[in-house]
Amino acid sequence: MSNTREVRTAKQAEEEDVFFGQTVIMWARWSVIVAGIALVLWTSTNVALLTQTMPFFLVLMAVNFFLHGRFVMGSPLNRTVVTVASVIDIVLITAIVVLWPGSHGLNNQFYVLYMPVVFAFALVFTRKIEVAYTVFAILAYAGACVLTGTVPFDLGNEDKILVMRLIVIAAMGFLGNYYFRIQRDRLARASKGATRWASSTASRV
Amino acid sequence: MSTTQWNPGSHLVSPDGKWYWDGISQEWKPVVKEAKAEASQTPPTAPTPTTKSRGLDSFVGTIRSEDLASGQTVLVWARWILIGTGLLLSFWTPKDLLTLQVQLAAIIALAFGNFYLHVQLLRGRPALDNVVYGASIADIAVVTALVLVQGGYPSPVFIFYFAAIVGISVAFPTVLTAGYTALVVGVYGIISLATATTDEYPAVFIRLLTIAAVAVCGNLFARHEAERRADAIRRHTETLDEIGQKSSTGGQPDVEHS
Repeated sequence: MSNTREVRTAKQAEEEDVFFGQTVIMWARWSVIVAGIALVLWTSTNVALLTQTMPFFLVLMAVNFFLHGRFVMGSPLNRTVVTVASVIDIVLITAIVVLWPGSHGLNNQFYVLYMPVVFAFALVFTRKIEVAYTVFAILAYAGACVLTGTVPFDLGNEDKILVMRLIVIAAMGFLGNYYFRIQRDRLARASKGATRWASSTASRV
Repeated sequence: MSTTQWNPGSHLVSPDGKWYWDGISQEWKPVVKEAKAEASQTPPTAPTPTTKSRGLDSFVGTIRSEDLASGQTVLVWARWILIGTGLLLSFWTPKDLLTLQVQLAAIIALAFGNFYLHVQLLRGRPALDNVVYGASIADIAVVTALVLVQGGYPSPVFIFYFAAIVGISVAFPTVLTAGYTALVVGVYGIISLATATTDEYPAVFIRLLTIAAVAVCGNLFARHEAERRADAIRRHTETLDEIGQKSSTGGQPDVEHS
């Protein structure tokens, strides 16, 4: 990554990143909500099951209505609130993995919801925050699997599956943030008046 | 400097129309004569309708091949993750000889292809668009082959579709991202529905939906960034114009044109 000097201040750049990136996080959250609600309605076999599972997604929906409403009104929330909302996403997905009736921990298929959430977050925040968030997601999922006793720690197939899933969650964070940094560099060049457009490709690898 | 004739219809052209990709010497070269090009280098602007190229511009006007070049690094790293993880997991409690053979053959073939693409990037020569598109098809084919060998729906390796789709969504224009995502969702959907029980259909649904969600997020971000860059370039050009006007009028207001 080249050291192109930013025209904007660091604070201004971060605020812009959160402003423009926030919409990606919101759409990722909408996908989680739609997937969850569809599944709850599809798989519920009795009233009790439906009332136990639906609140997870209603909470997410409320959070996202608030965030999306503020964004549409032209007053998006600051990075702290966006980060807290994203942490709530991870907490709720982990709660689903642990508490979902019928299948818990490693056997729960809701773990794929981590992917869009971690990826979207990585597209918005700087490397340190992204790494912290991705590690949080990894620890949360690993913890959920251990807590529910679905990982035997015998280096067998279950352990292998857990490692595979954790690697892909980490990859989502890494690739998203890698692309984010490439785009920061390109934007800085554009702001500066990138005269070396043709030779800039090699410096990004 | 080769003596290749510049022809806008047959070369990949930079967004500002001042550079073209010489595939023979594998270099970006100025469209105008070099002496003039050095004097007139300006920041890239949005492509004009008259400078259509064979690259991504031919699909979507606002997305440029430079986007593919920068997104290609993400694709390459996504593929290395797929290869590294695939190798690690292949040697971890292998089930049978045939499965291991198929896995290793596919992963090694992918590694060779990715090595070529990475070397091209390191040398500052992004691969031809069609090679990049083909490599992404190969990613999807390898993951699909592994899923099939491991019995379809029960196979845990489907999650590697996520890594492949992440790279595709940020590197390719919307139309192609939609096409590749539809391919993955279609192929994996058919395989899963054929191998899963009715109780497992909700899980199939959630897998397909999250794959599509990742594609949407990546492409949405890439489009936003393209707009921001275009805006930054426009503002920079306007500033340069203002400076130029001031210097031509000696710092006095240009009364005649105001």
